[in-house]
Amino acid sequence: MTTASAETVVAPARARTAAGTAGVRRRQGFQHGGWFVAPFLALFALFVIWPLLRGLWLSFTDANISGDDANFVGLDNYREALRDDLMWDSLGHSAYFTLLVVPCITVLAFGLAMLAHHIERGAWLWRLCFFMPFLLPSTVAGNLWQWLFNPGTGMVNHVFGIDTPWLSDTSYAMLAVVICTLWWTVGFSFLLYLAALQGIPAHLYEAAKLDGANAWHRTVHITLPMLRNITGLVIALQILASLQVFDQAVVMMDFGPGPEDSTRTFVQFTLEEGFTAYRVGYASAISIIFFVLIAAVALGRMWLLRNREEGGR
Amino acid sequence: MTTAAAPVRTRPRRSWTPSQIVLTLLGTAVAAVIMSPLAWAVFTSLKSETEAVEVPPHWLPKDWTGQAWSAMFATGNITDWFVNSLVVSVCVTTVVLLVSALAGYGFARTEFRGKAVLMGAVMAGLMISPAVLGVPLFTTVQQMGMVDTYWGMILPQCAPAAMVYILYKFFQGIPRELEEAAFIDGAGRWRIFFTIVLPLSRPSLAAVGIFTFISSWNNFLWPYMVTNNPDLMTMPNGIATVMNSYGIQWAQLMAGGLMAGLPLIVVFVFFQRQIVAGVAHTGLAGQ
Amino acid sequence: MGRPGLNRRQLLAGMGGLTIAGSFGFAALGTGADALASGADTRVRYWNLFSGGDGYNMIAMLDSFRAEHPGIDVKDSTLQWGNPYYTKLAMAAAGNRAPDLAVMHLGRVPGFSPGRLLDPWDVDLLARYGVHEKDFNPDLWRRAVVDGKLYALPLDIHVQLCFYRRDVLKKAGLLGDDGRMVPVTSTDDWFAMLKEAKKATRGGLQTLGLHVNDLNIQWWMFVAFYTQLGGTWFDAGNTEVTFDTDKATEVLEFLRRHITDGYTVPGAADAEQFVNGAPFTLEGNWSVPVFDTAKLDYGAVPLPPVFGTQATHAESHAFVLPHQSDRGGTGNDAAHRLAAHVVTHARQWAGGGHIPAHTPTLTSAAYRKLKPQSEYVSAMDHQATEPKVWFAGSTGLLAQRIGPVVMASTAGSAKPGTAAGRMKNVLAQLLAMKNPMDGLTAAEGGAAA
Repeated sequence: MTTASAETVVAPARARTAAGTAGVRRRQGFQHGGWFVAPFLALFALFVIWPLLRGLWLSFTDANISGDDANFVGLDNYREALRDDLMWDSLGHSAYFTLLVVPCITVLAFGLAMLAHHIERGAWLWRLCFFMPFLLPSTVAGNLWQWLFNPGTGMVNHVFGIDTPWLSDTSYAMLAVVICTLWWTVGFSFLLYLAALQGIPAHLYEAAKLDGANAWHRTVHITLPMLRNITGLVIALQILASLQVFDQAVVMMDFGPGPEDSTRTFVQFTLEEGFTAYRVGYASAISIIFFVLIAAVALGRMWLLRNREEGGR
Repeated sequence: MTTAAAPVRTRPRRSWTPSQIVLTLLGTAVAAVIMSPLAWAVFTSLKSETEAVEVPPHWLPKDWTGQAWSAMFATGNITDWFVNSLVVSVCVTTVVLLVSALAGYGFARTEFRGKAVLMGAVMAGLMISPAVLGVPLFTTVQQMGMVDTYWGMILPQCAPAAMVYILYKFFQGIPRELEEAAFIDGAGRWRIFFTIVLPLSRPSLAAVGIFTFISSWNNFLWPYMVTNNPDLMTMPNGIATVMNSYGIQWAQLMAGGLMAGLPLIVVFVFFQRQIVAGVAHTGLAGQ
Repeated sequence: MGRPGLNRRQLLAGMGGLTIAGSFGFAALGTGADALASGADTRVRYWNLFSGGDGYNMIAMLDSFRAEHPGIDVKDSTLQWGNPYYTKLAMAAAGNRAPDLAVMHLGRVPGFSPGRLLDPWDVDLLARYGVHEKDFNPDLWRRAVVDGKLYALPLDIHVQLCFYRRDVLKKAGLLGDDGRMVPVTSTDDWFAMLKEAKKATRGGLQTLGLHVNDLNIQWWMFVAFYTQLGGTWFDAGNTEVTFDTDKATEVLEFLRRHITDGYTVPGAADAEQFVNGAPFTLEGNWSVPVFDTAKLDYGAVPLPPVFGTQATHAESHAFVLPHQSDRGGTGNDAAHRLAAHVVTHARQWAGGGHIPAHTPTLTSAAYRKLKPQSEYVSAMDHQATEPKVWFAGSTGLLAQRIGPVVMASTAGSAKPGTAAGRMKNVLAQLLAMKNPMDGLTAAEGGAAA
């Protein structure tokens, strides 16, 4: 899932606004507020908290897919995981993917947003064109690019007059997945940048113009600093989403691990262990490891944000 | 401050300055590159299956034919999946809107025991997704006997901490004075919520609703894990995992993909302004 | 906002309300649109993994069944071949939502935990619909029986073949008087033949398709040639790895040599090259309909015995009954009837290149007339199969783990000797691994399987 799907999208906006309202908090005379949160908490407990605890428990057992006969095995699963080359390889693939996607998407999204923001005519048209691929399901994007990268009948090789075995060569396979991902998800970050650009007060530019700053200077000294927060947000969301890449990679590789296993991602590895090898206990241990990793990234960002805000004051 | 009117005038002035011409040309080129894969899908879907796999490939069909589209509807799966996608996305969106609006308001404006702890738990929930904890989530749903059911697909998508968080932030921003006035008039908490707060938050609710719908419609991973029965699959899942018995037929596959993408593209065309405003509004854009 | 806006809004709200109500109603019903629309008395949900020519033949066979049994509604679903299929099947059975009937590779049956994810066939019921044990190759039938119960009903065997272009070989002088490829009995013969064939091949085409990038086919080739050398995998009790790295190295070097000597281009579209005039390609018999459609003048023999003895890799499609806690009744009866129908009417199926498991079909005059099927029917007697352990079988754990090693060696990124060592390690690891279904290793569970 590289869609920075709306679920994860919103998270990091928090640190900025929280400080402002905290001081105003007053105690109201309502004690039955619990009822407002009860329905959500019920769902949250059942489908988020409980699976997490259950995953933690299962990770210490040898549970299988049929759901019975689980024995406690202590730390065996974790011990095995840390020695499992396949896990490290797939983690490496996800990291490599992230490393390629995040900078590219940030730069591309910024470029597209600048373009759409500065062209005076047909704002809706540019928005629609740049955002549209994101509206396709991931599997459709995957299928489409699998077809485009097809060595004989695909358009990519034909248009560029090359003969690259995109999907069957280890040095190109992940690149192909990255290209598909860029095309498909850049629209989302683009929209974030566009909204941020439109939020920059016009008077800042006017003032700079009066001071004789040219377009380049205005971009460097006003636009870029004003976009610092949003860039942080885009990068954080992309890192979290890219580490969880799964859909388009498996679809492009016909649900296989790619040439010489070169596109097997971490999520794919987890699902293979759980649902193909039926080792639910082991898969749970890997999931927990992955959860810790994701949490570390998210907490790292929060820490960075806090440090920066304090330092900036 | 000499020309106070200047910012107002920049918008309506639309002359073809050289820089505008260059930018527009550049924009057109980039848009063409981005749209070309989609155009290729459209053209492929209008070719015959044999023409679709001709080497070397060509853009426009020599013989325009709707056979891929009619064959796709004739085999029937696509319509089932379309209905399933609609059922799942509509249910998810409805439940999410209801539940997260209530919870967001509860966290923002009411007091109850353990609120801080619960809020912390919700924050932690932001890091959990089916991609991270898919296997344990599956076994949980399996235990509840909901594998291969609509509810098994719907309910786990209905606890998005992120949406609660957005609405929580939004409700915090509503001036308390509005509520206090009603409170003095004797209105209860629930009445205030439904008659004052909800109408005020329509744009935020719209943004949350639209994002939830998009992500639910396009969700692949969770439905892929929890449904095996092709009768119950959603569009993205069905297209990727169920094959046509006659092998990969690219023209039909492209037609199916376009069918899956079309509803959202239509939604976006109609609600573009709200979506973009929603992005800014809910503070996604930082600030 | 004037009045018209309000009306439109009301209309939209009404429609929205209806959609939401309808969606929840639908979700509450929970059956799916298709099942709702079906009015037949008995419904058989049948899953398979056949696409292309096989899918076409399967549908024709289903249609003939439907015509004979109008009261039975057969809902067939084709899922993505390989692991996605087995994942879905296992999860459906584990979640107690399994289809009534499914296709499975025979080699996967031990790993599918018969009794837990699979239900046994009712042999008496099968007999009533015309299926008897005596009509099957005994080896094949034995592989389908676990703990004395029949868990799989074999439909066919499918084998790896050496396809050759008659027109090109004729030009190279490599056709015998019977119009078939000259027999090959050693690697020297084989490469001498490739050398001749290469001379007669049009420019820009490779001489032999080897599917270098397909881990499954690479693994199957290895199984075939390693078996020709008399290699073994494990001892009788499945307690020790008896894998012979010297023999394995020999096979891997043999595979690799096709590339170093310039007969095979890695990554080439092998089947397309063959259609365009490449003289040889090694692939599964499922390519027969592809080459038939292309109207080629071609033949196909089992993989040549370059190491002296005949053996070619064989797997088998079989029907299974995925576990349902309430199996029985008319749905179960219809599943038996459908499977029996397809197995006994497999002449159509043979058009896909497969060798029917049902002997009366195999020996029929109609089958013997098929070309090139009749040229490789002997493969039934020289099957090279994966070991009968829980982690084996088509695209199973063994293939997933060991296939990439073979592939790396053939493609040249690992030395054959090193790769053979790595293969032995993989086998040792898997042997020590417990089957997650019953917590037993291959040795402990060996008696059952």
